[in-house]
Parts: sequence; structure tokens; C-alpha cells
Amino acid sequence: MSSALIDLQRITKSYRQGDLPIDVLKGIDLEIAAGEFVALLGPSGSGKSTLMHILGLLDRPTSGAYFLDGVDVAGLDDDQLSGLRNRKIGFVFQTFYLIPYLTALENVVLPGLYGQERSASIRRRAQEILQQVGLADRMDFRPSQLSGGQQQRVAIARALLNDPPVLLADEPTGQLDSTTSQEIMELITQINRQGRTVILVTHDIATAACAQRRIELHDGLVRRD
Amino acid sequence: MTAWYVVINYLRLTLRVTLMAFFALRAYRLRSAFVIAAIALGIASLTIIIASIDGAERKADEIMDMFGSDAAFVIGGDPNSRAVGWRGLTLTYNDVQRIRDELPGAYLSVPMRAKSNITLRYGDQSVEVPTLVGSTEGYADVWNWPLAEGRDFSAEDVDSGAKVVLLANGPKEALFGQRSALGATVYVNDLPARVIGELRYRGMASMGGSIDDRLIIPITTLTQRFNMDRKYVRALRVKFSDPENMAFHRENLRSLLRHLHNLQEGENDDFSVLTADEILKFISMFKGGLVAFLGVTAAVAILVGGFVLANLFYLSVTERRVEIGLKKALGAKNQAILLQFLVEAVVLTMIGAFFGMLLGMGMGQLLARLGILEILFSWKIFFISLTASGAIGIIFGLKPAREAAGLPPVEALKGV
Ligand SMILES: Nc1ncnc2c1ncn2[C@@H]1O[C@H](COP(=O)(O)OP(=O)(O)OP(=O)(O)O)[C@@H](O)[C@H]1O
Ligand SMILES: [Mg+2]
Repeated sequence: MSSALIDLQRITKSYRQGDLPIDVLKGIDLEIAAGEFVALLGPSGSGKSTLMHILGLLDRPTSGAYFLDGVDVAGLDDDQLSGLRNRKIGFVFQTFYLIPYLTALENVVLPGLYGQERSASIRRRAQEILQQVGLADRMDFRPSQLSGGQQQRVAIARALLNDPPVLLADEPTGQLDSTTSQEIMELITQINRQGRTVILVTHDIATAACAQRRIELHDGLVRRD
Repeated sequence: MTAWYVVINYLRLTLRVTLMAFFALRAYRLRSAFVIAAIALGIASLTIIIASIDGAERKADEIMDMFGSDAAFVIGGDPNSRAVGWRGLTLTYNDVQRIRDELPGAYLSVPMRAKSNITLRYGDQSVEVPTLVGSTEGYADVWNWPLAEGRDFSAEDVDSGAKVVLLANGPKEALFGQRSALGATVYVNDLPARVIGELRYRGMASMGGSIDDRLIIPITTLTQRFNMDRKYVRALRVKFSDPENMAFHRENLRSLLRHLHNLQEGENDDFSVLTADEILKFISMFKGGLVAFLGVTAAVAILVGGFVLANLFYLSVTERRVEIGLKKALGAKNQAILLQFLVEAVVLTMIGAFFGMLLGMGMGQLLARLGILEILFSWKIFFISLTASGAIGIIFGLKPAREAAGLPPVEALKGV
């Protein structure tokens, strides 16, 4: 066992498409230490999102071992995985995934509701974080009343609410223009500087430049690290 | 982790999920309105069925109260053959007398004859009264009909054919209003009679109008002054001291009358005996029909409501896959998602129950006003409706909620 925060050993993932199996991940070995900023690159269909889902405990690998903070997650049941996601992992998605009928503040509060903290303190922290991401005056806006960049900031604030050690971002700037992308990347870099491990999927070389470490995925394998 | 801790966590989650449910239900208000309307219709029918069954029960109680569980009513004539030559006048004064004297357990035996469509006059006012009854002392007692004022007939009144009258509430109100009628002289057709008593308001509909629209005079006075034969009576009431043995009393009464009427074995009765049992039997048969008819209606309405709920919730689960996936990604356990949809379903059915009760009460009032149904509203309706709607929410919401809870997060996040 290694001391890495994230330790993947020979991870594979296959889907069955009718009769023939599709091997998306073909044996990924990867160690990521706490506090690293990793960019995950690779052509479309190379399995980046699939790998992110496994890293984020949203999906289970077909074979191989995954140790998160020393714990073999294969031995955990769905509820335990939910608990781990709640406390240890923050997600940022390309399409934001904000709940349309909730305000920015209510969206940010959401991950807190599934934990054991008192509502008042969850709310206070949500307000603080929204302030930090520059949305102090937009807390009561609905997602439809916010720009794309603002929506992604809300999503980032939501990912940070439970103070998780790991932030997973799957093409967070994929739907944003270049200026806004830059702002979002600055925010993510800043989050990494606070000590959080960040894993970022991107197509964009400029975006990947923010990271200290770049991992290239090709056809289900790590090609360059 | 102690059990207490688990309970606290669960309660907290339920509370938070309930609050979230209100946000979601408001966001999908059209769908919510459909579910509420569908459930409301079911609960409205349920409200009406309960109200009308209770109404029928109250009616039965009223009838029983009036009829008395310790009494029998005998009416002349063979109930089973109404062929040519049928006689309704088969009971005699002698029968009345012999029953009172010889029938074990009987302490009152009161004869009755009636004449219909009488004009009652007081001063320059007059009123049409559908029924004039001739009877004897004990009339009020034998019908459990208390006097509001005055007294019942005395034996003397009956013996002497006294020109005295008891007013039921209908004619009394019509001619005297709030004033007392006691001691006044009224004209029954052309017969002057002194009012000696007023019967209390009874408020019962009977065949051909209200039971309160009647006058009672001594039976002797009726036969003498209105030219009726003096041997027969139309009907008689008997009261017994121990109502527990009514079946026994009934048989005794029947054999005594058969004996008095010289009926041979094989001959039909020329009278019929009615006791509370039979009236109850009839009422419960009527109630059974009501329960069956309204019960089926309510069950169908509720089932339809449940299916509407289930289908709209399936739609909701499909449409909100991303929300479900996202919540799971944020750490919601399967149970939390299940709870969310169940709470949404139950909240809607509860709101539906509220409107359903209002609707049911409105419709029930209307049916009662139109005289179609007898209804009675009680807290029972409230509790049964809430329980039923809660059950519908859980039963019909469970499958869609399970489906939502079981969605794999990655699949759910991909959307439809
Ligand atoms: N549920 C599934 N069933 C079958 N095949 C799947 C499924 N999910 C993903 N795949 C396949 O796995 C491969 C990798 O998909 P993935 O989304 O990980 O790629 P990606 O690297 O994120 O691509 P992109 O850059 O376009 O987002 C694709 O060929 C895709 O068709
Ligand atoms: Mg992808």
C-alpha cells in the first residue's frame, strides 16, 4: 500500500454493447498525492470521463483496485460510497448541473443537507463560499438568471461546501468563452493552492498548462505522465 | 453509532427532504395540480360515502328511537296476500284489551285509527292537516313521543268521547306560532275540541310528509263524530317491559292474535307484526346497498387517483434524472432519494385529501339538500381521509420512488 491519496492499480472498465464487449479502460495504474494539480488529457472517447467517474466513486471499475486515502473502495457498499463522495469529493461538470428551481444559495447548500451538520452553519458557510467565488450579490438568483461563468462558480462553490480534499472537474470550461474560462481556471488554481487535490479533464492545452502534472490518456491506457 | 443517533439522522434527513419536496412541487406545479385533483376526486367520494353511511346510521338511530326497541306495531291485514277481498280492518278493541290483560310482559297496548285530510281551524285561520289519528290514553308514551306542554288523554277522555285534541308540532306552529295552544278551542273539520297537549317536534320524514303534521283525538271521539264503525281498529302498538326478549314477545303476540282471530293451522296471519329488529334489518340492507354502491365508486375513484399519481411520478423520475444523479453525486444515499419522492407523493396526496374533503362536503351538502342522501360529517372523515391519502401516496409512489433511488448515478447524470 502506498501513501498516495489516490492509488489506482490495473483499473479496467468494459461495457457490453450487444454481444461484443467494449474495453474503455484497459489497465490504468496511477498514483496521485495529496495537494497535486493533475490535468487529464486525451482525445475524445479515450475514457477520460469514465476514469473520472471511477475516481469520483460514481462508478465501479470492472477490475483492478482503487485505494482512496488508504481505503480499498471495492469493499464499500453504495451507502458508504455516498458518504465518501459527500465528505471527500467535490464535482464540477461541464454542464454545471444546477437544479433550476433552486436559488444559487440553495444549490450550494445541497451537499450539506445529506450530512450531519446543522442547517444554520451550512447556510453560513455556503454564503461565505459564494462570497469567495464573487457571487455575494447573486445568492438569491436562479440558475437561469446567471451567466454561464456565474453558474459554474455556483457549481464550484457547491463542490467546496463540505470542504472535500479532492476536486474533480470534467471539462469545467467546455461551455465557456475564453475570458470566462480563464477566470474559472484561476479560481480552480486558487482552490488547489489552498491544499486541495485537483483533477481536471480538459481538451485545451492552455487550460492544462495550469496544472503541475499532465496525464495523457490514449485508447484506455495512460500514454504519458 | 447508537440507535438514537440513527433516529436523529433520519429525522433530520426527513425534515430536510420535506422542505426540498415543497420546492420541487412548486417548480412542477402543473403536474402537482393534476395529482392533487385526481386524489381530491377520490377523497371526495370517500368523504361522501362515510358521511352518507354515518347519515344512514343516524337515520336508523332516529327511527329506532321513535319506534322503540321495546315495542311492537301491529297492523291489520295479511301482508302476503293482497288479493280480492283483502281486509285491512281485522284488529278489534277486544284484541287491544286482551293483549293488555293477557300477554306476558306487555304493559301498554294502544289502538289507532286514522282519517286523512282534515281541516283544522282556529279563529279565522285554518290549516290542512294530512292525518287525524284516533287513539287512547298512553298514545304519547307508546310512541316515545314526549309532550312539550299539557297532558296525554285520560281514560275518562276516551270513555266519554271527550272533545279534546293533541296537536303535533306542525299544526301547532301553523296556527299558534310561538304561543301556547293549551286550552284553546280549535275546530277539527266541524268538531270543536279543546287543546289539552302539544307533542314535541320530532323532525322525521315519514311516508307522505312529516310525522309532525298530525292531530290526535280520542279514538271514541273519532268513531262517533266521523261516522266510523266501532268494532275495528287499524293498528295497535304494544310495549313490553323487557326489550331483551323481543323475539319471544313477538311470537307470543302473534299466537295470541291468531287465537283471538280463530285462525286455523295453515291459514295465513290476517295481521302483521313489526318490531325494531325488522326495521333494523331493512335499514341495514339499505345501508349494505349504499356501502356497496358508494364503496365501489370511491374505490374506483381512489384507484384512478393512485394511477394518475404513479404515472405522473414515473414521468417526473424520467424528467428529473439529472437531478437524481446530481444529488447522488453530492452524497445522497439511495434512501434519501426514495424518501424524497415518497414525501413528494404524500405531500401531494395530503393536499389532495384536504381539497377532496372540502369537495366531498360540498357535494354531500348538495345531495342532502336535494333530499337524495342523508349525511353526517364527523372527525372520522378527517382521519380516514388523511390515512387513506397517505396510504395512496406511499403505495402508488413507492414504485417510481424505488426506480429513482435505484438509478446508477452515472446513468442518471447522462439524462434522458
Ligand atoms: N454506458 C456506456 N455504454 C457503452 N459504452 C460507453 C458507455 N459510457 C461510455 N462508453 C464508451 O466509452 C468510451 C469512453 O467514453 P468517455 O466518456 O470516457 O470518453 P471521454 O474521454 O470523456 O470523451 P470526451 O472527450 O468526448 O468527453 C466511449 O467510446 C463511449 O462510447
Ligand atoms: Mg468526457
